[in-house]
Amino acid sequence: MSDVEMVKATDKKEDKDEKRDEKKLEPKLEPPTPTQEIKANIALIDRAINDLEARFTHRVLRSLTALRKRIDDKVLRDAIDENYPKESAVKNSLLSWLPPPPPAEQSMEVDTTSEANATAPLPPSSKPTSDPVPEAEIYLRLLIIHHLHSSKDTYSKSIELSHETVDKMQSMNRRSMDPIAAKIWFAVERSYELGGELADARPMFLAAQRTASLRHDDDTQASLINRLLRGYLHYNLYDQADKLVSKTTFPASASNPQYARYHYFLGRIKAVQLNYTAAHTNLQQAIRRAPAAKTAPGFYQAVHKLFVIVELLMGDIPDRSLFRHPVLEKALSAYFDIVKAVRTGSLSEFQTTLNKHAAQFEADKTYTLIVRLRQNVIKTGIRRLSLSYSRISLRDICLKLHLDSEEDAEYIVGKAIRDGVIEGRIVHEKGWMECGSQKDGYGPEASEVFGRRIGYCLDLHNESVKAMRYPLNAHRKELAAAQDARERERELAKEIQEGDLDDDEGLGDY
Amino acid sequence: MASQKLATLYNELQRAFDARPSDLKKCGTLLAQLKVGLIEAGLLIPQGETNLHDLVVARDILEIGVFWSIRAKDVPSFDRYFSQLHTFYTDFRSSLPPSKREFAVRGLNLIRLLTQNRIADFHTTLESLPLPADEINTNPYIRHPVNLERWLMEGSYSKVWNAREEAPAEEYKFFVDSLMGTIRNEIASCEESAYDSLPLKDAATLLFFPSQSGLLVFAQQRGWQVDLTAGMITFAEKNDEQVEIPTQKLIAANLAYARELEQIV
Repeated sequence: MSDVEMVKATDKKEDKDEKRDEKKLEPKLEPPTPTQEIKANIALIDRAINDLEARFTHRVLRSLTALRKRIDDKVLRDAIDENYPKESAVKNSLLSWLPPPPPAEQSMEVDTTSEANATAPLPPSSKPTSDPVPEAEIYLRLLIIHHLHSSKDTYSKSIELSHETVDKMQSMNRRSMDPIAAKIWFAVERSYELGGELADARPMFLAAQRTASLRHDDDTQASLINRLLRGYLHYNLYDQADKLVSKTTFPASASNPQYARYHYFLGRIKAVQLNYTAAHTNLQQAIRRAPAAKTAPGFYQAVHKLFVIVELLMGDIPDRSLFRHPVLEKALSAYFDIVKAVRTGSLSEFQTTLNKHAAQFEADKTYTLIVRLRQNVIKTGIRRLSLSYSRISLRDICLKLHLDSEEDAEYIVGKAIRDGVIEGRIVHEKGWMECGSQKDGYGPEASEVFGRRIGYCLDLHNESVKAMRYPLNAHRKELAAAQDARERERELAKEIQEGDLDDDEGLGDY
Repeated sequence: MASQKLATLYNELQRAFDARPSDLKKCGTLLAQLKVGLIEAGLLIPQGETNLHDLVVARDILEIGVFWSIRAKDVPSFDRYFSQLHTFYTDFRSSLPPSKREFAVRGLNLIRLLTQNRIADFHTTLESLPLPADEINTNPYIRHPVNLERWLMEGSYSKVWNAREEAPAEEYKFFVDSLMGTIRNEIASCEESAYDSLPLKDAATLLFFPSQSGLLVFAQQRGWQVDLTAGMITFAEKNDEQVEIPTQKLIAANLAYARELEQIV
């Protein structure tokens, strides 16, 4: 009962809220329709080209994800109609990719236009007389490709369109188009993934990557390297991926999302190659550079899955709080079980957990990595024993860790000592292990770790200084202000001087 | 087949290879001729439109080449054949009928990586196998190297030793000897750090030496002190080297901090 009431109450509240919102909004402008937004975006692109300021284009592209969900056939058609003059070749070619409008709608449109024409001629600004910049066309094409992805029937069409768009892009060869081109490549990959084999797109990507790197087209290059890496890893071609990474340099000016992806791919390659320390740094970078957990939960989860495993492989235990994170809690539950098994150092528990979640691990492509954890489970077990006993017989080790034979236990302990997992000695004649004292925490290692942290902070500072932007000629204003300030100061000084005199006079009076 | 000559050579090779014991020398000469033939027919690295049947034959020839190299104990030649086969296994996977020998060949390659201690390569190769993860444990050719690697990493050397007779194919045994050399060295380095001294008899069992003489030679190589009268091996005391303060490094780091701070202030 109470629940129902609660719901009702909240409903009412929401209703009220909505009403209030509506009231608030009514006098103001209503939120822009997708068509208007596209139009505004095209204006921004135009400005970007004229002012040679790529950041306007970036701003347009940032809204792409949100916009993508709101477009449909009509929106796109309207947008194309509004932005191109009536008889434009580009317009017709763009419209040809969309299904023709249903007849009823068409008549409506005709009606409205004729009406509009009849009542008052449209202001000249709203009906363009010439084609907008080619970048706008590519932008519209990008929207159309994304739209074609939304239904199964149009996948093949999207591949066709993306081919045509790529050809067009490459023939125009405009540097101002680069940011949009990078997004186009992403859409191309998606087309191939949905409509056919991802591997088929590889030769095209490779060729384009070469061109992009020759033209110092950083945006496209970053996007393409990620496309290629993703393609390789999708087919488990770690060798090729590794070679690609070693032969290319990832452009330093790439955007954060691209960097995050790149670091994630690198992390995966490094983890497979047993280079866990490098994998750990890369994955950490990927997490730091990734968009907030709520906006891109999929990526966030995927990175963390791998991150947990790599951390375990390095012999660390991931933070407990990580598994309580609202976005990660559910996705990482299987991994949490694995962590628990490794922490207790129990081989049997590890094996059962592994079997229980095998299907999920395989889907996440972490199965083979997790299998490697077996030795870590043993090592953790030995370390726990060495901490709690000063002397323990090999037989007991064998029993406690569920090893197959004492002989094995002897070899395993020997290896652990050599690898520096534990400090100790085996006394073969007596059949026991003597554990030495732990190392203290002071030494050159401490200063090294400290140095690394300082280095990181300094880097962060330098990067942020570099990332600051200053508008052009803004310093003039400041200079003028400084001039003013100086003048005021002088006046003030003068007044003070005079005041001093006054005071002196006053004093003199006393 | 592209030409009659190739076909007859191929048949001859198959006969020579299947004969027990196979005629290694004859196989070698035949393989050399066949490779030239394959290149002439454009099949060694297939390009353009090629007949499916021809590709299968080319793959067969290369597979025989792989096994022949192992039997002839020629590892570089094994490498070459394997990388040539790789095209057939990956790029033509969808069009060619699967080969019976494919996993035997892949397993051999894994073992080879293991004996050369190329563990990173081992894992990359393992990841790129066209097998779902649970089949790795059921496929006998792949399971063998995977288990070996796991035991090596764990330190269960006796299991590795015991598994040497369980090889799924005759050719696997070729690598076993060099693998034994590898693990013996591994064990020796473990013993050096884990024991102060060890009786000769026990050392021999730990290192899998059937006789003392073998052990003595090995001990000499590693520079162990052997006391024959007491029957003990003493490992060279690892003198705890004085922890030096890395002055150079510290100075460099401090200078770098100073420079950075200068820039900030």
